[in-house]
Amino acid sequence: MKKPLKLNVNGEEKQILVEPYSSLLDTLRDDIRLTGTKKGCDEGDCGACTVFLNGKPVTSCMVLAHSAHDADVITIEGLGNLDDIHPVQQAFVDYGGLQCGFCIPGLIMSATAFLKENPDPTEEEVRFGIGGNLCRCTGYSKVVEAVLAAAQNINNKR
Amino acid sequence: MVDFKVLEKNLPRIDARDKVTGKAVYASDLYLPGMLMCKLLASTYSHARIISIDTTQAESLQGVRAIITGQDFPEIRFGSGALKDRYIMARDEVFYIGEPVAAVAADDEITAQEALDLIKVVYEALPSVIDPITALTSDAPPVHSNVADYEGYGFTLGNSNVCTLLDSDRGDVDQAFKDADRVFEETYRSQGINQGFLEPMACVTNVEANGRLTVWASTQGPYQIRTQLAGVLDKPLSSIKVIPMELGGGFGAKLRLAFEAFPALLSFKTGRPVKLINSREEVFTLNGPRLPVTNYLKTGVNSDGTIIAREAYSIFDVGAYLGAGPNSGVGHGLGAYNIPNFRLRSFGVYTNKIYVGSYRASGVADMTFAVESHTDSIARQMGFDPWEFRIKNAIKEGDVSVSGARMPKNGLVETLQAVKDRLGLPKRLEEGRGVGIAVCEWRSGSGPSTASISVNEDGTVSLLTGSVDISGSDTSLAAIAAETLGLSLDQVIVAKRDTDLAPFTGPSGGSRIVYSQGTAVHRAAEAVKERLYELAADRLGVQKDALSMSDGRIYIEDDPNQGLSFTQLGTLSINSRSGPIIATASLSNMPYDPVFSTQAAEVMVDKATGQVKVTRYVQAQDVGVAINPMSVEGQLEGGVVQGIGRALTEDMQLDSETGAVKTSSLSTYLMPLAVDLPAIENILVKVPSVDGPFGARAVAEPPGFGPPAAIANAIFDAVGVRVRELPLSGERVLAALAGESIEIRLDVDALKKAEGT
Repeated sequence: MKKPLKLNVNGEEKQILVEPYSSLLDTLRDDIRLTGTKKGCDEGDCGACTVFLNGKPVTSCMVLAHSAHDADVITIEGLGNLDDIHPVQQAFVDYGGLQCGFCIPGLIMSATAFLKENPDPTEEEVRFGIGGNLCRCTGYSKVVEAVLAAAQNINNKR
Repeated sequence: MVDFKVLEKNLPRIDARDKVTGKAVYASDLYLPGMLMCKLLASTYSHARIISIDTTQAESLQGVRAIITGQDFPEIRFGSGALKDRYIMARDEVFYIGEPVAAVAADDEITAQEALDLIKVVYEALPSVIDPITALTSDAPPVHSNVADYEGYGFTLGNSNVCTLLDSDRGDVDQAFKDADRVFEETYRSQGINQGFLEPMACVTNVEANGRLTVWASTQGPYQIRTQLAGVLDKPLSSIKVIPMELGGGFGAKLRLAFEAFPALLSFKTGRPVKLINSREEVFTLNGPRLPVTNYLKTGVNSDGTIIAREAYSIFDVGAYLGAGPNSGVGHGLGAYNIPNFRLRSFGVYTNKIYVGSYRASGVADMTFAVESHTDSIARQMGFDPWEFRIKNAIKEGDVSVSGARMPKNGLVETLQAVKDRLGLPKRLEEGRGVGIAVCEWRSGSGPSTASISVNEDGTVSLLTGSVDISGSDTSLAAIAAETLGLSLDQVIVAKRDTDLAPFTGPSGGSRIVYSQGTAVHRAAEAVKERLYELAADRLGVQKDALSMSDGRIYIEDDPNQGLSFTQLGTLSINSRSGPIIATASLSNMPYDPVFSTQAAEVMVDKATGQVKVTRYVQAQDVGVAINPMSVEGQLEGGVVQGIGRALTEDMQLDSETGAVKTSSLSTYLMPLAVDLPAIENILVKVPSVDGPFGARAVAEPPGFGPPAAIANAIFDAVGVRVRELPLSGERVLAALAGESIEIRLDVDALKKAEGT
């Protein structure tokens, strides 16, 4: 039986009816129709579903939607868009850090959260910081370059 | 080196911004009004007769709209190639655990899932065979007892479990083995592999008001889906439209019809759109992976290090149906070397396991592991430096390749030299560390390729090609058009297309897009250029050969102020006597074009645990010309990392009694993460191909071939033991160090007897 759920998604309040067993991922995609966040495994193994929940990165497939009642959620759509792109998103474009793109929204969210905690990382620290995001296409080399470049860019703007 | 305007530049991909903002639309992102969700019921027996399927209880579950079984499909067999050994859904018999036997369409996925549990299937078990070596024996139960009746079957080996046999011979290999100073025999084994794409297979189907079927698919081969769907649904080809969505990785798994027929038939039954998305578990258990391969190699060498004979026998476990080009490795049993006498054999063997699928020329990766480990092993045993031994035997321009084609100009030697220089070979590392090399060889792909380019009234051009955008291919094709016409990349509009709109094209795979599709684009662009010249000549009142083109203008060479910009020409063309400018190109048979790569791994081996860490990885590949270096490097890096996964951690395990997939999650099937890897060093060697657009060669498949052998060879260099089975796990390294490796045996004499050699 669906129950009312209130979420603040990308700065907008949403009031929706959601099954008690629904994950935050399924709610974002199926109910709110924000499909930028992807489902790679639904088991917390790949990181493709990463969003910010009250400022912290989470694998949204492992979060029950109702446990996020009244919470702030930021998805890839809220991070930046074509008119106002986030520096991490732009770095991925400039450094070729993407191919098929399916892992990318989750990867960009993880990288952004990581850079907030560690604004001036070494390459090894970046590899650890995105170590929970699986990518099959890129081999990670250009992803790491992009994150390091984004760190530089963000620091220069400070 | 030519000074390119668009090529050889790191231009961002045209789809990049859509992907980083989450705007790109994949099949699972589609929501249509009234859409239902489809789930599949899979066989729980490796081989059984279906006695009955009772769906009454499932049908009465609230929210269930329709259920289909194999009997609801026309009784038509299909196959992924010439051999038609399958029904799209099992009718009276199942052949592997995981074979679909029923499909449910319901209001939501949870309801569909619950309905599956209420479907009652009664099976009668039949004898099954799981191991391919056992399947080859004369008293093994046949997987397909009526295989001789299947259209496309053509064997008389007396064992119905052999479904394909590829062979290639030259010279007199038996005499050459007698003549050789040394003869070496080794057997190697590769594991089961899952393609590992991040986007589970998904599709949406809908029957339009006019009765046509539309399929939005996650696919590399929309025309292939269209053809096979028409076949299994017994509907006209022209009644089906396939729209390829953004592809979240395929690597060969998505080249053909997969599960689309099930929601399609459910759409016909319910009159509603139906979506199917595989769970990650289903990606492991329902989608055709790669199955283990055993490669036996025998080589005859003279004391001066010249290889004079090679015999290769491959056992290719096909699974229950001939799903994908097996035996693709056999043509690569010589490696990158010129060997005058050879006998190559590859047996494709049926077993009661999930059917084999494609994966980035995986059969060649399996063979390269064997050949490059074997080459290294021979060099070591004869006291030769592994690099020197390779370059001595390397195939050269003018030599005859396995296929019989003359080897054209190529960069094999350049890649070997580049790696030697970069690493400073020969190189001795400290205790527990080692370096190993591997050479990869492949060919640029061909197949039906079409392109159409038209000029817009503002001088930009629109490019229409049927190929699915696979990892930047749209950007590369646009770049080829732009370079030919002297335009910038953003002046080429690439249409989003479907099977109604664009002419027939081969699938996006097999390393064919840049080489073959790119040639079609290049020819169409050249033809457009001709038409622009004709128009300019007419308007400027001169002959065509008095004109020159640069920077978006066509002008009189002797009087450059007299000219017309592309914008002006575009506007003029619309109402010109010959009408708006449009040109097309179509081809299918590109000439043989080799692709070579040399790779090297530096590793650190922990002798206590056997764990291997890759500390450095270098690759040099002859790309001809780099259409987009950033994109080319991305392909090289991604391929190598897939190869490192194959070398060290990936292992798709199947139950030895039932054939069921045991590793069915990302926590048991381990693909590399960023923390596991060093930065990959790439060297782009550029020996232009004879026929590729601007000299470009194929890029994408060879990078994955090298790591298993490079790492195995590095392990030998580090700790003096050779592991001949993948993955090179800690357990296997430790066993080798203790002298307790399990030897892999293949009874080649029995195989020779069976084929009458």
